[in-house]
Amino acid sequence: MHIADGIIATEVCIAADAISLGALYAFGKKTEAGDIPRMGFMGAALFVASLIHFPIAGTSIHLGLYGLAGILLGIRAFPVIFVALLFQSLIFQHGGLLSVGLNAINMGAGAMAGWLVWKAGRIPESIRAFSAGFIGILLAAFLMAMEFQITGYGRGAFFIAYIYSIAAAVEGVLTLTIINFFRRAKPDILEYGK
Amino acid sequence: MKHSFLDKYSRLDSPIHRRDPRAKIVAFLAALLIIVTEPRGEIRSFLFYYLLIALVLIISRVPVLYVLKRCLIVSPFVLMAAGLMLLSGTPVGGEATATLFGARAMLSLSIALKAFAAVVLLTLLTSTERIHRLLEGLRSLKMPTLLGVLSAFMYRYVFILSDEMMRTTRARMSRTPGRLTTSRFTTYGNQAATIFIRSWERSQIVYDAMCSRGFRGSFPLRTALDFRWPDAFFLASFALLFVAVRVFA
Repeated sequence: MHIADGIIATEVCIAADAISLGALYAFGKKTEAGDIPRMGFMGAALFVASLIHFPIAGTSIHLGLYGLAGILLGIRAFPVIFVALLFQSLIFQHGGLLSVGLNAINMGAGAMAGWLVWKAGRIPESIRAFSAGFIGILLAAFLMAMEFQITGYGRGAFFIAYIYSIAAAVEGVLTLTIINFFRRAKPDILEYGK
Repeated sequence: MKHSFLDKYSRLDSPIHRRDPRAKIVAFLAALLIIVTEPRGEIRSFLFYYLLIALVLIISRVPVLYVLKRCLIVSPFVLMAAGLMLLSGTPVGGEATATLFGARAMLSLSIALKAFAAVVLLTLLTSTERIHRLLEGLRSLKMPTLLGVLSAFMYRYVFILSDEMMRTTRARMSRTPGRLTTSRFTTYGNQAATIFIRSWERSQIVYDAMCSRGFRGSFPLRTALDFRWPDAFFLASFALLFVAVRVFA
């Protein structure tokens, strides 16, 4: 799901970079000195957790955890995801450098959607946790498909987004498991993003 | 603690390695921009772009096999995009049906060539400079402060947390060997949760220690970067060569 450079039209990438820098300013301006180590650690944890691969149907997928980032960090998830993507681009070439803004919008939107779902207080927590993980991946996949269509790839990219719904379901179950673990072992971790 | 996936080969010695990180960032970004803004379907100039990139690769002494492995990692996504363009893309202009497939094939090829050139350039950038110096270069090129500080934190702690992950993975594998079953989703989830909780607790300890040493929300640069005439020459010649290919090829 990490869009490499040269895949999407450069104008779209540069516009997305400008938008994501604006979002970075908007979401990051209330960041206090005390938040920075926590955001840095959680960013590193997201980065490392995304290295966990698990086997499915003869292949392996890795965690994205965008919904979980939204739950844990709230609006601070966007800057953290941006930096994590910058790292993935520089270190693993997962995603391009010019398209880092585009990837940040896709995955940051997934995190924000996960955060909004998590904040919907009346729904049982287990459903919110699953939905946050599920939407976090699925929204990112559909935004990516839209960007492919804008660039002239046709509607075929939406078929791939549908395939991502399987990964989204797996991510939903894992997010639910992680939230249950937090609730048992360290419930205060869930208060930070609110 | 040894994680070679981070800035591997950045400690080699070559004329490219010796350049100031800011010169390399600007030069590689300029090359990247020139390549990705190449008109779609245009593939002739890529022969020259790849020749230039190969020249940089040889001078940098970064192993070719390592760069090819990096290309292999991103190849599923690039091939998916190229395949999509081939099957359902809409080339610019109203080509007749007989030539439509040909036009799509050229577009697919140009997309793949651009993407792999970008991957090789990025690999060369991170293989010829240590990550912390690249980050310092980005900060001195006026990267937003929040990004700079977050990057510095992530760079420091990604090693520690990678060790943490290796330990928890070893523990998980020793307890739950075999095939993935539904119950093992819980195991994977618990492993990720453990990493988050340990990070959370450690972040508080680190922050308290940093405050006691005077941390106020930003880091000073660790080492002074030194931009000299050879760096300016490298930057100008590197960018001009790519511009020349764009203009004349």
